[in-house]
Amino acid sequence: MNKNKTNRRYPVAVFVAIAVVVAGCAAQSLPETETDRDSERGAALGGLEEIVVAGASGRASRPFPTPEVYAMQRLVASDSDGERILRYATDEEIWVIQTSDGSGAVAPDDEPGSGAMIGVIDSKEVPLPLRHTDVRAKISGYISTVNVRQEFSNPFDSKIEAVYMFPLPERAAVTEFLMVIGERKIRGILREKEEAKEIYEAARSQGYRASLLIQHRPNIFEQKVANIEPGQSIDVDIKYFHTLSYNDGWYSFVFPTVVGPRYNPPGHSDPVRALPRQDAASGGAAVRYLRPEERSAHDISIDVQIDAGVPIEEVRSTHKIVASQPTEYSASVQLANLSMIPNRDFTLDFRVAGATLKSNLLTYVDPESQQGYFTLMLYPPNVTDGLSRQNMEMVFVIDASGSMTGVPLEQAKDAVRAALDRLQEGDTFQIIRFSDNASQFGRVPVPATKQNRELARQYLRNLNGGGGTRMIEGLRAALDFPHDPSRLRFVSFLTDGYIGNEARVLGEVRARIGSSRIFSFGVGSSVNRYLMERMAKIGRGAVAYLKLQDSGYEVMGGFFDRISRPALTDVRIDWNGLAVSDVYPSILPDVFVGRALVVTGKYLGPANGVAVLGQQGNSDSRVVIDNTAETSGTLSLAKIWARMRIAELVDQQTAADDPHEEIANEIRATALKYQLMSDYTSFVAVDTSQRTAGEFGTTVHQAVPIPDGVRYDTTVEQE
Amino acid sequence: MTRSFRWVVLFFMFSTSQTVADSPLRFANVDVFIDSVEPLAAWQLEFSASAGVMQVVGVESGDSKAFDGAPYYDREAVAQGRADHIVVADFSLEDESELPSGRILVTTLHLMLSGDDVPGFDTRLIVATSYQGKRLDAEISIEISDGREQ
Repeated sequence: MNKNKTNRRYPVAVFVAIAVVVAGCAAQSLPETETDRDSERGAALGGLEEIVVAGASGRASRPFPTPEVYAMQRLVASDSDGERILRYATDEEIWVIQTSDGSGAVAPDDEPGSGAMIGVIDSKEVPLPLRHTDVRAKISGYISTVNVRQEFSNPFDSKIEAVYMFPLPERAAVTEFLMVIGERKIRGILREKEEAKEIYEAARSQGYRASLLIQHRPNIFEQKVANIEPGQSIDVDIKYFHTLSYNDGWYSFVFPTVVGPRYNPPGHSDPVRALPRQDAASGGAAVRYLRPEERSAHDISIDVQIDAGVPIEEVRSTHKIVASQPTEYSASVQLANLSMIPNRDFTLDFRVAGATLKSNLLTYVDPESQQGYFTLMLYPPNVTDGLSRQNMEMVFVIDASGSMTGVPLEQAKDAVRAALDRLQEGDTFQIIRFSDNASQFGRVPVPATKQNRELARQYLRNLNGGGGTRMIEGLRAALDFPHDPSRLRFVSFLTDGYIGNEARVLGEVRARIGSSRIFSFGVGSSVNRYLMERMAKIGRGAVAYLKLQDSGYEVMGGFFDRISRPALTDVRIDWNGLAVSDVYPSILPDVFVGRALVVTGKYLGPANGVAVLGQQGNSDSRVVIDNTAETSGTLSLAKIWARMRIAELVDQQTAADDPHEEIANEIRATALKYQLMSDYTSFVAVDTSQRTAGEFGTTVHQAVPIPDGVRYDTTVEQE
Repeated sequence: MTRSFRWVVLFFMFSTSQTVADSPLRFANVDVFIDSVEPLAAWQLEFSASAGVMQVVGVESGDSKAFDGAPYYDREAVAQGRADHIVVADFSLEDESELPSGRILVTTLHLMLSGDDVPGFDTRLIVATSYQGKRLDAEISIEISDGREQ
């Protein structure tokens, strides 16, 4: 197939628009030669180790666990009796526990039929409908276009409806949805959520094959596929755009694979429940989890094609990858191991030559409406000399709930220790822990004396995990006391963010933030990045992530050094006469060395001479943006703008009563106009060509593994 | 050239399945064909309900390899709540020799119908073009059916 005929012109505007969409997403063929660079990265990825563990080990009490010790903690957490053989790879964390209870395939009463058609690989393999997830991403500069295919099949002997709760990146602008049946592709239609549900339910009850995509949170989605007949398959294709984060020369592409178990405070009206696999509860959003000894056949493949636009110096990942670099500016990366258990975020970082990065403005003009859209990327000057450091009032808020118990909590404590070591005379600090309730180190923030810091280390040593995640308690304790005007108050949340009441928490942040800055520190393998990002955004701060294999001490150390000396404060933009509107974020945050600021908006007219102004230490700063007068971006810029607008509207909604649904209507209108998933819009697709025989069958929830590092018994509701 | 056709669906179509006919919401699909002597490279059509109440619930690819993806639909119409109206378009980047000619199934529209009125449909070919971007003198036609039980 020839995909390179770009010189053809069609006489209708819609074709131009379509061509732009397709061109923006078109595959750029890269040479097939692949070099396994894994070995070149040395011990960072490591090799496969085999460890024989006999019962529990006292070594698990070391302050920062090595992978081996961590593995044993996990083993002990799952079952502490008997002798086990544990296979553990530092990059993959694959477990093979050679204990069999001889029970055979799990066949709960609520599953259809009795004839599971898939092979039983080991004694605990659970037949479930989601067979495979295929992820194909194309990165151009800092914008990623991602196609996700979810392959569902029916391993039972009667008809089923498959239901799957899954995560997507918090900034994903989900814009396309296809149901694929064999060679047939049916494009889904974006409708208002209730209308889409009604269509789906009608189709399902009448025996038509149908699929429905619902958003429960900006990063949690529910896929329903109705009337899958025994042995048959139905695939669903989802396409989204998003911007990559940038940190100290590294761009990060993240694909989350599992929704962490959320804690829902009593009385919360819109929970995301964490249920055992066999729980028959219906209504509302719920994620079903496999028990630690259970596995499904679901696997995942990931292919990422990078066109960085600047030289790529290094590629790294949380997972074992196969990477090649066809040109200086491009890279091709694939997940190496198809049998990876999808229980932690896939992160792919690529480092670009820092000196070649220039702040820039990408623009796109809609050919029909002539409306312009821009995305501005500001890379602050990479200098720390001369940046002043004000005295700080540092408040650490540690999530000590059940989901943080074990490695994540130890990492969080290590991170706080790193920050304590960097506090200076003149600073004050406070440590707050929360789970079911909140308590704190000092009655008020205490001076950062040597003695107080040592007492704080003792306090950390005695801090244990358990209980729920009542984040609002911690939030109030952190923000509801008089602010010392002589110090900058930095509030650092260290949490996995496994809560179901995000909107309430973000509303509280907005209401109480004052002049404080929030730095959210996501801890764990599958953090609730939506919560982390929005807290930092509302709190005009920054976010950092601490993966299970990371050293909390090192990551916090680097992070603390950055945040204590902002590269640019009082940030504003000189548009040089350009007619801009609807600029997001509406309140520009401080900018930190090594961190990029992304701003998006609409504009009319030529874009020339845009500059970012601010205070750099005690002097004024002016960064002129490298931009072009002509269109340089694609339709994805309009989608990214619309996605950020919806995010801002949702933030406003959490902070205000919306009795006339004005904000809700704005979100709905924006989502429909730009064809995006939202809280108020859903994709639905129905195959009306054929009705399947009989009743609509049994609903089978796709159970997922508990995130790596998280304990099932302390986070999933009891059966 | 713009060609428009109005189709009134015969009631017997919906009597083929008692279950469907009894439901306040029922489903049907419309195969849309474009007949062109010259190879077809791009097309755009408008489909709407002249009677009854319809909602488009899926837009399916046709049977030509040259148009192997699902066609695109007009976002604005759906965004404006025009559930009874849709503009669908597609194009191919294949070589001219790979483009189809004759009577081509370009798309199947999946519909949900409601209300008691016998549905009627308007189909209008807005444009069909050749490999060179030349407007083609093409005909449009549709075939309507409901989903039969297997």
